[in-house]
Amino acid sequence: MLISIIMGASVATAFLGLAGELSFRIAMEMRNYGANILVEPMAAEQGGFLSDADLPKIKTVFWRYNITGFAPYLFGVIDISAGTKREKSVVTGTWFARLLTSEGEDESIQGVKVIAPWWGLSGTWPEAVNEAIIGAALAKRLGVVSGEEVTTTKERRTQIFRVVGIVTTGGYEEEQLFAPLATVQSLLGAPGRISRVLVSALTVPMDDFGRRDPAGMSKEEYEKWYCTAYVTSVAKNVEEVMSGSRAKPIWQIASAEGSLLTKLNRLMILLALLALTAAATAVSTSLMASMTERSPEIALMKAIGADSLQIIIVLLGEILVISSVGGLIGYLCGEQLAGFVSRSVFDASLQPSLWLLPTAVVSAMTVAMAGSIMPLRKALAIEPVQGLKG
Amino acid sequence: MMDVLIETRGLTRNYGEICALKPLDLRVNNGEWLSIMGHSGSGKSTLLNLLGGLDRPSDGFIRVGGEDLRVLSEDGMARYRREFVGIIFQQHHLIPYLTAVENIMMAQYFHSVPDEAEARTALERVGLGHRLKNRPGELSGGEQQRVCIARAIINSPRLLLGDEPTGNLDHGSTRVVMELLSELRAEEQFTIIMVTHNHEVAAWGDRTIYLDDGVMVREELKGD
Amino acid sequence: MGALKLTVLILAWGGIIIVLGRGFSVNRLLLAVSNATGFAAGVAVGALLLSTLQGDASFAVAKAVLSALFLLHWLVSLAALYRSTGEGTTVERFQKMSNNPLSAACCSIAVGILAGTICSFRFIPQGGEVPLLTVVIVGFSGVCLTAFFFGVEQFVPKMPVPTAEVLMAIVVSFILFASSSIPRLDLFSPLVMKVMKLIHDIVHQFFESMLIPDHLFFRPEVWNYIGLLFGNRVGLWGGMLIWFTPVLLVAAAIRLERLPSVAHIRQGAERRTLLKAHIRERRTRLVAPLIAGVMLAAAVFQSRFPAVEYWDPKPLKVAATPSGSIFIPLTGEIDLKDGKIHKFLFKERGRDARFMVLQNSAGGYTVTLDACSICKPDGYGQTEGAVICYYCKTLIPLETVGKPGGCNPVPVPFMMEKNGIAIDGAALLNLWGITVQATNRVKGAAR
Repeated sequence: MLISIIMGASVATAFLGLAGELSFRIAMEMRNYGANILVEPMAAEQGGFLSDADLPKIKTVFWRYNITGFAPYLFGVIDISAGTKREKSVVTGTWFARLLTSEGEDESIQGVKVIAPWWGLSGTWPEAVNEAIIGAALAKRLGVVSGEEVTTTKERRTQIFRVVGIVTTGGYEEEQLFAPLATVQSLLGAPGRISRVLVSALTVPMDDFGRRDPAGMSKEEYEKWYCTAYVTSVAKNVEEVMSGSRAKPIWQIASAEGSLLTKLNRLMILLALLALTAAATAVSTSLMASMTERSPEIALMKAIGADSLQIIIVLLGEILVISSVGGLIGYLCGEQLAGFVSRSVFDASLQPSLWLLPTAVVSAMTVAMAGSIMPLRKALAIEPVQGLKG
Repeated sequence: MMDVLIETRGLTRNYGEICALKPLDLRVNNGEWLSIMGHSGSGKSTLLNLLGGLDRPSDGFIRVGGEDLRVLSEDGMARYRREFVGIIFQQHHLIPYLTAVENIMMAQYFHSVPDEAEARTALERVGLGHRLKNRPGELSGGEQQRVCIARAIINSPRLLLGDEPTGNLDHGSTRVVMELLSELRAEEQFTIIMVTHNHEVAAWGDRTIYLDDGVMVREELKGD
Repeated sequence: MGALKLTVLILAWGGIIIVLGRGFSVNRLLLAVSNATGFAAGVAVGALLLSTLQGDASFAVAKAVLSALFLLHWLVSLAALYRSTGEGTTVERFQKMSNNPLSAACCSIAVGILAGTICSFRFIPQGGEVPLLTVVIVGFSGVCLTAFFFGVEQFVPKMPVPTAEVLMAIVVSFILFASSSIPRLDLFSPLVMKVMKLIHDIVHQFFESMLIPDHLFFRPEVWNYIGLLFGNRVGLWGGMLIWFTPVLLVAAAIRLERLPSVAHIRQGAERRTLLKAHIRERRTRLVAPLIAGVMLAAAVFQSRFPAVEYWDPKPLKVAATPSGSIFIPLTGEIDLKDGKIHKFLFKERGRDARFMVLQNSAGGYTVTLDACSICKPDGYGQTEGAVICYYCKTLIPLETVGKPGGCNPVPVPFMMEKNGIAIDGAALLNLWGITVQATNRVKGAAR
């Protein structure tokens, strides 16, 4: 019985402990995908562009407080050379950490540094117009290190960049050269133009209402929809201020971020409950057996004058003592288990959470009590005469 | 003190088709020592259980100490058992993992509150002052039976029931136990009803009744 | 919401009456009359306080009385604990008092006055003239309630051997429960603040006296513990400790009280039976402190989670001068300088507009429509540090009121004059019209 309580409590503790940790970890991992809204020209295929003059407006939209960051991008294919090596590559003009002042709003810092905090950068972020950072793969091929210069050429326009940092992202970014937007605009001969904006926004999980088509809503519904920070409504918000743009939620991430977390949490709690239920069943079964075994003892108690309340007090007292011990041991085991899982899955150590201790003990007690209802009824039904014979 | 403690009229107990106790009329006076004899299955244990409030009659009237046992609730029965009756079992029925003193304190606990000093005194009274902290497994049969007696009388019952208390004891131990019971009875003035196979043991009583097949067949007063 | 608060007061009053009725063993009628008189007097006292004293003074007075009561409660329970370890029981002493009609009547009147005052603070608006009718109604219904609860009281089981400190614990807990339903009479929150401040000061002094602002020998963990002392939890737990200790002391006093001797009974079983009866009796007496504890916990709950009420004044109708401007004086009929929103309604030629004026924490003023640019113009209510849009339930920080955008109320251009605010009426009406239209346009766009 003690074993089953320990098992139940430890598994429940582990699951609950992990649930908290998991949602945090996954939120972090999700954040690593950064942006969840992609703003593109409405006619990207026909070579449409967005205007960088619209950018400050993003921080003036209705949901501006929910927009944690954004970064504009302008892509172009250029020839890049360093020393003797030459290559065709993509240059990306962007903001790194730009101080943005929008009318009537507090100043904010926007750019890649804000929305892509997971970028590993050895070196510094570019500050001057002719400074750039280079993707690790490209840098390796060109044999460039921090502090050296690279020459970029596009249709006879040439720009020399001083590489101040090498960026590792694990993605296609490692093949690119990142330089300040304005410089790239003039290099590519596309003043004021940008090809896309990535916006990172805090959103509420998508629900059925949020999935509805805004066009089919009544006025009240539309207001409610507009007034809720769904990723779609934030996207629409952004779209309204960027002229000629189409803002698309990056669905995988947007929905993952919102609903996956709730689902995962629910799953964890469900599993914890299942573990506890299983423990309760196990406790009940073992107690049933123990009642049969102890029926002479209980019959004796009855024979020397114990009434039902006294029998319940004696038996339940025993059970509660055992279960609180079980809860404590279970908590300790569960901590270890959760720590182990956390280490092996997330490669991160788990903060021991003390609030789980009372939870574990109380749930162990509850489980034991729930599991002891039937055995107690059985104990109370024991006839002293029959019990003493056996 | 010749007032009636126990009175039964037409007391019957059936187990399904089997009639363990045929209608029985019995009166036991306060302070009397009654022995019940009969071979196995004669209904003597059934009678004892009915008197001790461990079992309920199928039919008939049973009144002990002014209490009508038929109308008592379950908890009322429990109260009757702990306040009115003390039982000495053939198998002792001591809790194996409790010491002698603790076994006695358990009876005190169910009665009211445990009192260790009193429990010790009770054990010393039955001559077990040196075995207070021993568990039943470490005691001989006679010693166990004496613990059982101490437990039975700890709550000052008015009725002491013995279900073959000497059934498992050798001759010497039997004698010790019976002498002890006799002494205690002289002090505490309780009524004893004792079921036994042993004529010698039955002879300690004031009166002996013989049961056969659930019927009282013979009654003998001391000296007959 | 109002009804809920009413329930709290009624419950508290009923509890007090039942406890007093069960506690004192004097003539019921005497108790009832003195209780009712006390209550009525209390309502009158409250009305008097509110009408004569300015600002928060009347609340301060009531709070001081409550604090004094709590302190007394502390002392009495300490004394009870001290006595309980000595010889004899406190029961006999109280029996004398509870049978004395004079002391019983005094107690009931005093308690009645307190309860009545608390009730009046709930019903009578602060400042200005006292609505006599309300006073009379509250007083009268208090008297009726008293009678009703004395009827109920007879069906409540008798309190097992009451003592002065137990009675006091229960009555005080009920009174604190009642007062905690009125945020400005609540004792617990200020207690928490006091405790927090005290602890901070002590820790601070400690470091000052050590003259080492950043002790190098301290390991990070130690700093973590020191940091704990500065957390706001400390105030809460410390406050709770102080809050519940008297009741715990009373309970401990009961628990430690010696049981009547049973040694004179020689027979073991009988002695134990009597002992058990005594123990059981003592245990039932613990029910009283338990009730008191529950009431105190309820008070804490009310104090921590007050039922949210929005400050939402009725819009005051204003008119424009012939030149078309609306002038709102800073003081006068409405005092704008109190940091609350004040709503006004402007009507002209069948068009109307609702707007609000708010003094922000910096001392400046903002004028906004009582509507935002997207939601239906359901208006705003004010809560702690924010206004809430009734339509979309968005909380808007007070300091951002006056800035455009989001669900913020739409700012209205105004002129700050020497002793008032001037708004162009026509512009106001147009702005309102556009805003409401804008909401409609959204509707059109959606279709």
